[in-house]
Amino acid sequence: MPNPFTPIMQGMKITLGHVFKKPVTLMYPDERPKVAERFRGLHALKVSHNKAKCVACYLCPTVCPAKCITVEAGEDANHDKFAAKYEIDMLRCIFCGYCVEACPVDALKMTGEFELANYRREDFVFTKERLLEKK
Amino acid sequence: MVTLTIDDKQVSVEKDATIYDAAKAAGVNIPILCHDKKLKPFGACRMCLVEVEQMKGRLIPACTTPVTEGMIVRSSTPPVEKARKLVLELLMLNHPLDCPVCDKGGDCELQNLAYDHKVNSNRLADEKFHHEIDYNNPLIERDQNRCVLCGKCVRICDEIVARGALTFISRGIETTIGTEFDGPLSCEFCGSCISVCPVGALLARPFKFKSRFWAMTKKKSVCGYCGTGCNVTLGVKDNKVLTTVYDENQGFHNGQLCVRGRFGYQFISSDKRLKTPLIRKNDQLVEAGWDEALALVAERLKGAGSAAAALATPRMTNEELVLLKQLMTQQVGSQNIDHSAGYGHAAVSEGLGKSLGVAASSATILDIQKSDLILAIKTDVYETHPVVGFEINMAVKNKGIKLQIISDKRGKLSRLPGANLLLNKPGSDVALLNAVAKVLLDENLAVTPATPELAAALNDFTPEKVAELTGVAADAIRDLARAYAAAEKAIILFTSGLAYPGADAQLAHAAANLAILGGKLGKEGSGILALQEKNNSQGALDVGFVPGQGGLDAQQILAGCSAGSIKTLLIAGENPVVSYPAQAQVKKALDAVEFLVVADLFLTETAQMADVVLPVCSYAEKAGTFTATDRRVQKISAAIPAVGQSKPEFQVYGELISLLGGQPAATQAEAFAQIAAYAGISYAELGEGGAFAAVKLQPVQVVPKVVTVAVDAGKFALLTGAALYHCGTMSLYGEGTVSVCGEAYVEISRNDAAKMNISEGAEVKLTSSTGTVSVKARISPRMSEGVAFAPYHFAEASINTVWSGAAVTGVTISK
Repeated sequence: MPNPFTPIMQGMKITLGHVFKKPVTLMYPDERPKVAERFRGLHALKVSHNKAKCVACYLCPTVCPAKCITVEAGEDANHDKFAAKYEIDMLRCIFCGYCVEACPVDALKMTGEFELANYRREDFVFTKERLLEKK
Repeated sequence: MVTLTIDDKQVSVEKDATIYDAAKAAGVNIPILCHDKKLKPFGACRMCLVEVEQMKGRLIPACTTPVTEGMIVRSSTPPVEKARKLVLELLMLNHPLDCPVCDKGGDCELQNLAYDHKVNSNRLADEKFHHEIDYNNPLIERDQNRCVLCGKCVRICDEIVARGALTFISRGIETTIGTEFDGPLSCEFCGSCISVCPVGALLARPFKFKSRFWAMTKKKSVCGYCGTGCNVTLGVKDNKVLTTVYDENQGFHNGQLCVRGRFGYQFISSDKRLKTPLIRKNDQLVEAGWDEALALVAERLKGAGSAAAALATPRMTNEELVLLKQLMTQQVGSQNIDHSAGYGHAAVSEGLGKSLGVAASSATILDIQKSDLILAIKTDVYETHPVVGFEINMAVKNKGIKLQIISDKRGKLSRLPGANLLLNKPGSDVALLNAVAKVLLDENLAVTPATPELAAALNDFTPEKVAELTGVAADAIRDLARAYAAAEKAIILFTSGLAYPGADAQLAHAAANLAILGGKLGKEGSGILALQEKNNSQGALDVGFVPGQGGLDAQQILAGCSAGSIKTLLIAGENPVVSYPAQAQVKKALDAVEFLVVADLFLTETAQMADVVLPVCSYAEKAGTFTATDRRVQKISAAIPAVGQSKPEFQVYGELISLLGGQPAATQAEAFAQIAAYAGISYAELGEGGAFAAVKLQPVQVVPKVVTVAVDAGKFALLTGAALYHCGTMSLYGEGTVSVCGEAYVEISRNDAAKMNISEGAEVKLTSSTGTVSVKARISPRMSEGVAFAPYHFAEASINTVWSGAAVTGVTISK
């Protein structure tokens, strides 16, 4: 006949062990998680010489499997191509990072920003202004 | 035939084929940058190098080497691949790697080749070019930095378009493609150079940065402008037509287009399109629903009988015309239907109808290249039907076909090598043709004897007499007649349509008589080809959209409106206020008519006067068939959904027929089956390229009536017509064409301009007995002294304020 207290003792041992370990629970939002460098969160359009690096080549909307990127190119005063419209629909985005990989001019990156909750559907569509990299 | 082996495949080709052609026939792909099947071999890019067993020791360019019997060709051996890779590396040495911002990206032959040959690094290094980019032209952007000097643009502009606007300038590493004196591009902006450019050196500005090539759906269609019946491919994205896409395998013209077809597409997805029906309430056009609008129209048409009339545009499909005709003749009970102002189709409907026994041309556009002699009457085909002009150019230059022209103004056609122009005084064309016929009879050159009536009538037209009348030397007339008779095959061309009041039934009779007497009818490469103005002009005649028994023609309908006998007028797509002659009378008629219904794409000058405006679809939004001027029936299908609430006219008239208790054809195929002229053609089986409807000739010699037009001394003889950049009034909504030709103008000769001290672009006043209009002057070497030419498309400063339908109008021109 096995000792009926043995399983209880074993359980208590594990419990006691956890008392002295570092807590797993993060007291969010008072405590912030440490986001890994390679985390794929909200996109940001990189800025160089005070303007977006994006040249509106349409490779990101082409490669995007979720079809969440809308680009419209424009012609600036110097006849250069720029993104007159650049929108990402975060409700559709699957954060695969293909857009960043496809970008030929390294104009797009994914930040550690993960708090994307919002109240209205429209607010999930990130326009160019919202996506521009904050310095 | 020559038999050779390419990559172990045996292939037999014509003896004038090149290795490249043979490889294509054998299904072997040889990479190339400088080749287009329309152009002559050039051998500029050196990408098509191959190994030939019999010519060991060097690599042979496939595109310039003719085949020989028993040749053994290898297209991708290691030395060949190595050489090609080097060629690419050398090209990429100076070619900027700006694919992300280059519109050609995705459709670029250099990009594809670099990918195929894995040229991802370069063993060599050099500086990129720093040529200035030409952004000034509204249609064609030239970036010489990207140019690979394949010379396709230079060759297409010379060999096919015959403009020669581009050429190689400078030498060695400094070679670029340049223009006249390296100035701004001055050409007709057909964009052929853009279409063949393998890289992004030549780009269409209206399409710049609009979309990537791969993001567009390519929809095949038939151009909705002139009667040539060119096939186009529309680039569609987000339900909008963004551009036309070149396809060298499309249509009889191998994808070649004119400025209107290539750049005039913007009207389809224009913001100005009508989106909802409009009904006039309290003298204001207000938006309304379809049900309300159609109920109102049906109510007015119900039992209207001959107090109702309809004018349609020959831009509608055959099936729509069938339904509109059914609506008017069966449900409404009116025979008052017509199109193209009546006179616009007279040359074919009445002229050829009587002379050939069928209201259609006996020859097709394909006959041009198979002929021995082309006689172009009163037409600068290059201007009215540019793609037919290209065909003539190729016929003259490549096949040595003789070109004879009878015209009242010079033009690009008369500048072709060997072209013989008989420059006659305006309005004397029929007399001149009669004189040619007279020479045929006098010199026993006629194959068919003339009827006594015709022979008697021609007695008045001896070359000497006519020489005086027309200003053409008698000997020139004789030479023309002899050349025409001597040619085994000869084709006569003339233009008909709203813009050409001079090309009437009499001209068609006179031309047909020549063909009949000369025995130039009913065989390949011979006959008469009337080049009609609109994309479905021939279809409108085949459907029979002309006044029925006892019905009124277009001019009588308008007169009836003024007189009050026509109470309800349905105008489908026509814009009489601008395009019909005598604007004041047209406006009066449209003001007077009790109830005016206009179905159109835009709120045109005519639609603004309507009581009900129905928004209808452009050719890109509907299905049906168009009949080109040579009776080629071609099917179109919708490339985009209808804009706004607009509906295809097929649906609109079908609904009206139902509202009036009739039974409309349910499908396009059903309506098509009702067209007797197309018996034997099945709607379902119409494929790409369409099918020719049969033309059964019953030639009759008709004596043409000759009306000599005299213009008072001191006045200019004003000719009206069409500008190269426009077709009807619809192209005024295509921004591409408007950007190069947006204002009304009058062309006068250099001498007249000098005499009156008028400079290019100066505002001049044209005054005729009916009115005055101010337009810009253009000084043109093609005009003769005392002759002025004005196109009719422009609503502002509309030429129909001074022109009332005459072939030649006497006007004074003042500053």
